[in-house]
Amino acid sequence: MKTDSFRLRRVFAITSVAFLFTLAISPAKNYFREYRSIQEQFRKLGASRAHSLKDAKTYQNRPVAISQIWLRDFGNRVDRCTTCHQGVADPAMANAPEPHRLHPWTAHTPGDSDRMGCTSCHSGEGLATVRGDAHGTTADSSSPLTPLANIEAGCGRCHTSEAVPQAALLSRGRALITKAGCYACHSVRGHEQFRSEAPPLNSVAVKTGGEWVRQWLKNPRAMDPNSSMPNFQLDTQQIEELTHYLFSRPVNPELAAKVAAASQEAPGDAVSGKKIFSESRCITCHTVEGKGNGSAPELSKVASMASRGWLLAFIRDPHAFSPETRMPRYHFSDSESRDLVAYFETELKDFDAPEGILDPLHVNQTLAEKGAKAFRGLGCFACHDPAQGTIKEKFGPDLNGLGDKRAASLDFGRRTDLARTLPAWTAAKLMDPRSFSAGLKMPNYGFKNEDVQAIVTALLSLGSKPVPEAYHPVSHGTSAPIPGGAIGQLVQQYRCLSCHQIGTQGGDISTAPLTFEGSKVKRDWLVNYLMLSFTIRPILEERMPIFRIPKDEAEKLADAIESFYVNPAIPEDPFAGRPASDQNASEGQRLYVANGCRACHIIGPSGGYYGPPLTDTSTRLKPGWVFKWLKDPQAWRADVRCPNYGLTDTDALRITAYLETLRAPGAQKSSGGKG
Amino acid sequence: MNRTLIVALGLVLLAGCSKKTKEVKLAATAGAAPLSYELRLGKDTYQHYCMLCHGESGAGDGFNAFNLDPHPRDYSDPAFQKKKTDAELADAIRRGGAGVGLSPLMPPWGHTLTDAQINQVVLYLRTLERKPE
Repeated sequence: MKTDSFRLRRVFAITSVAFLFTLAISPAKNYFREYRSIQEQFRKLGASRAHSLKDAKTYQNRPVAISQIWLRDFGNRVDRCTTCHQGVADPAMANAPEPHRLHPWTAHTPGDSDRMGCTSCHSGEGLATVRGDAHGTTADSSSPLTPLANIEAGCGRCHTSEAVPQAALLSRGRALITKAGCYACHSVRGHEQFRSEAPPLNSVAVKTGGEWVRQWLKNPRAMDPNSSMPNFQLDTQQIEELTHYLFSRPVNPELAAKVAAASQEAPGDAVSGKKIFSESRCITCHTVEGKGNGSAPELSKVASMASRGWLLAFIRDPHAFSPETRMPRYHFSDSESRDLVAYFETELKDFDAPEGILDPLHVNQTLAEKGAKAFRGLGCFACHDPAQGTIKEKFGPDLNGLGDKRAASLDFGRRTDLARTLPAWTAAKLMDPRSFSAGLKMPNYGFKNEDVQAIVTALLSLGSKPVPEAYHPVSHGTSAPIPGGAIGQLVQQYRCLSCHQIGTQGGDISTAPLTFEGSKVKRDWLVNYLMLSFTIRPILEERMPIFRIPKDEAEKLADAIESFYVNPAIPEDPFAGRPASDQNASEGQRLYVANGCRACHIIGPSGGYYGPPLTDTSTRLKPGWVFKWLKDPQAWRADVRCPNYGLTDTDALRITAYLETLRAPGAQKSSGGKG
Repeated sequence: MNRTLIVALGLVLLAGCSKKTKEVKLAATAGAAPLSYELRLGKDTYQHYCMLCHGESGAGDGFNAFNLDPHPRDYSDPAFQKKKTDAELADAIRRGGAGVGLSPLMPPWGHTLTDAQINQVVLYLRTLERKPE
């Protein structure tokens, strides 16, 4: 009996000790947590950096505690990162070692830390208080930190526009994705309307020869480095089948007739063609041996790419062949276009091309049918014939949510050499898409290393969860209407939007947006400029092509610009209601010199030519615009390099008055300025 | 005689191989080190606004430099870098040449760039210091 109770007591005692021990585990574990020693370090560091005894005391008296930012309206996010990163908002912690360092300045820090938290930009596991868990360095973390190289991916979670200020890498990545045409095969929210610029392949049989198509399919970039068509790594058999298929595609009869008629014309004069070519400023978009903008095809071998008839017919009406092309329709006369093509045939051809590169192909139906299957199977249709995509789904996988994919869910296949992370996987997919396993279809885009980092950054910004409305960035773009009717047709014909921006639309080849052009330039100047677009900034390779717009069209366009594209904030007469001393042009000239404007601008014989010459300012520019520009050049376009000098109204007006005295020789004195 | 030759050849080959792998590794790490976000912003700002005159390397040999008298400063010069504090550099950017008693051809950027942007440029300028040969 007695031994029984003793045994019971012993069991009880052991259980109690075990119980106490178990109870102690949690506080002990907590006691040894890394964040406690980090907070201890922070207190010491803060005290050592404090400027007053009081500040030092405040640091020393900081309690040891978990701190967190709780964002109820942002997916109920709880970010405990500040438990260790205690100095993120503490200016005394500038340049302190991590994890104590002050967060670098960004558009959202320090201002928005309480509204945005940490993981919304950086990813990572907000709730965790252990380093490995929080940073997601453990295997199969659901949300690892975004690496430094791709840090701007965080910006892209909310900022969905293509260009994001202060995120150059992200913006470049997005632009590269658009240029490469990824959206043709992959779904990404906001890009449902994407249409590839790839040619519609409606006139292959009358354009080029079988041998040229074979060479092109083998490696498009070898034939045209500006092409955005990737290398499909085709074997000889596939190339043969596809070539026969392309030549079997029906040719639009109207186009065939145009090409046939043009091919009968007599050859033109190559010398005159060369002159027309350089005068028309074709390299504003095209390149010749790499010189030029490069957004349109390289032309140094163009005469070995297409037949004379096709080139003639295309130059005369590019929009008939390719409705989506960015190429404008010029006013070349029949003989001028013949001269141009003669120039191509003498100088812009591949002198090493095999004989008969442009010989037509006799279609073998069996091969063509196989080629038709390959055209679908390889996904060629996604860019060249989107109408074939009858299925709702895109040809490639959906990319929405890619940025939140767990590394463990990715198929690394044969690539055992890669770090098991999403950025490494994505980069490898871009560099060598088919290296993961056999049978993959994505072609090789030949991206450069730095391009890959930019594209990875852009892809990591594609989150799986939508960002709440309250966090959508405010758009600063001005939306301006694109006119319809006769003016709209002219804008279409000359493809103004290929180079110029109007509001939030348009290309980026020109530095001059047209949104408020009517407030900027004088109508008479504009009419002359449209009729004969002389060079404004000779250092630019991309200059306005000379369309030789007829006078009536030029006047219509100038009137439309004068009435639609104006900014009411820009006054017609900036001197109205100002004292006469504000029109002191000689004082303006002194200010022009004192501010060093001549570093970039030419007046008369001297000055730099980074900026436009100002010799004929009053012939070209409206004084109200000049005044507004001087007050805030970046208001015109955010990336303008002319510095804002912080001029007073009086000084800006005086410089305006001085510039108003400058006019092109022979031009009439305008009424706006006083000498 | 023959044996020593073979051994020597083998050694040379081995040395060659090991050198090659080392080089590959070095190249990989050099490409992998990304600039911090601040430095990247500083570099972008520098390349957009400053490089035209000051040149890509900071040697004062930019596209527009030939046209300026006096020529832009070569701040890749280690002596210059040592002489100027961050605050002085930021001040010259902010107030321009005229503001600090130098050539007005260097414009003031204080109304165009924010303080944060100017500090980022200074941070980037520090990386442009020429390494002594």
